[in-house]
Amino acid sequence: MSEFEKLRVVTGYEFLKHIRRRRLYIILGLTILVEAAVLIAVPLLLEEGYPDNVMVMAAMLSIGPSLATIGAVFFAGDAIAGEFESKTGFILFTNPVRRITLVTGKYLAGLAAVAMLIVLGYIIVSISLLVIYGTVPVETAKSFGLCLLYGGSVLSITFFFSSISKGSMGATVITLVFIMVISSVIDGILIMADAPHWFMISTNGDSIATVYGGYELFLEGLPMGGTHMPDRWFQSPDINLMIVSMVIYLVAGFALSLWIGRRRQLS
Amino acid sequence: MPEPIVIESLSKYYNKFLAVDNLSLSVTENSNVGLLGPNGAGKSTTLKILCGLIRASSGTVYVDGISVAEKPEQALSRIGAIIETPEFYTYLTPEETLSYLGRLRGMNGDELRQRIKEVIRLVRLEEWSTVRIEKFSRGMKQRLGLAQALLHDPPVLILDEPALGLDPRGVVEFRELIEEAGREKTVFFASHQLVEVAQICQEVAIIDRGHLLAYDKITNLEEKYQSLESAYLQLTGEIH
Repeated sequence: MSEFEKLRVVTGYEFLKHIRRRRLYIILGLTILVEAAVLIAVPLLLEEGYPDNVMVMAAMLSIGPSLATIGAVFFAGDAIAGEFESKTGFILFTNPVRRITLVTGKYLAGLAAVAMLIVLGYIIVSISLLVIYGTVPVETAKSFGLCLLYGGSVLSITFFFSSISKGSMGATVITLVFIMVISSVIDGILIMADAPHWFMISTNGDSIATVYGGYELFLEGLPMGGTHMPDRWFQSPDINLMIVSMVIYLVAGFALSLWIGRRRQLS
Repeated sequence: MPEPIVIESLSKYYNKFLAVDNLSLSVTENSNVGLLGPNGAGKSTTLKILCGLIRASSGTVYVDGISVAEKPEQALSRIGAIIETPEFYTYLTPEETLSYLGRLRGMNGDELRQRIKEVIRLVRLEEWSTVRIEKFSRGMKQRLGLAQALLHDPPVLILDEPALGLDPRGVVEFRELIEEAGREKTVFFASHQLVEVAQICQEVAIIDRGHLLAYDKITNLEEKYQSLESAYLQLTGEIH
């Protein structure tokens, strides 16, 4: 039996795990809830209905699929750490299958689960834009691609933390703190210092919305009440650089988790 | 034919703690060997190295002549193992678990379905075969652990305290199952339950603090020390 066939088996059963877990449906519910909240709240807050510019509304609706990518953290937190913490590895690792195959299968299953949520999110975005504006901008496809890439990056970072953590909860919390706190704080400092920040994972997540026209779009499209903050704070980094950054997170995080996962001993 | 299990000059350090100290022994085909020793003697560490779960600090272990360190997949294909209290994915049923593990071992189709039925019947889990494992007691997980170890009909069984935590009836039933399986297989069986080992095995290796103290037929040890219990107590008492 080839390792590729074993990879198919592992991926299939790991995907079944995601399908049977409550967390998938909680994140799906949250995604739908957030999209519904945007669709209801925006016309109420603007008083004149939806923004005239379809790009502004499309960017605002991208919050739902962006939220779905965070689901990757909850799907992958226990991917490697869980085998050691719950001791299921004592059964799984005594089978004639390479650790690399097991970790890769778990990664592909997690990616498939996140992609499923992202696809559902963009179906909601597309239908909403079609109903309200009668059109779906081509940037939605770009946003979808960036969202998938961001989801893959978040998954890789979570796999890395899962490979070095003793417990699943620890891996999940560390990843969330890394992405939402540490990265965001450093991001903010770099912006204020007028230094490049395209390589921060928190900035990379913004690309899902800024692909529609950058932060400037929100200032033009929404009544923000005026601002005295420097323009540079609202300049989004080059999308191409952010793609490079996300690919690096994806490849490096996954490669490190493979290497550590292969070497880790179940004592 | 190479011997099913060969351990050569095996040592294992956990940081500075020496868990296994230059251990060498070999297990002949179709023999049932008990690995006896007090807690912390190095029994589980030895079995984990045999199953490729941890790496040796020095020395080599072979299964059917295949080095576990160099060719782990080939070596593991010849082993069925229960290490510690087996834990399973709680979102799967026993049938699904066995199907997953069977497919990882290259089994499929009718052959796999038939074999799953056989091992589930053997460990008496028929009524629970389609119930998710999250509802299982420790004893039921032990039974499922034995089922997965026997699923691919391996020539070598490696069992680490397989009856740990079972009630008295469970212990007796489990012992019978292992005895039955051990008639056609090589069984290497770690325990500190002397009665259990004496009923299943013909030979024992007694270790303490990673050292091999004795490796002989139970009958020979009984002759020399009057009983297996005396042999165990005298041998493991000497180095304390």
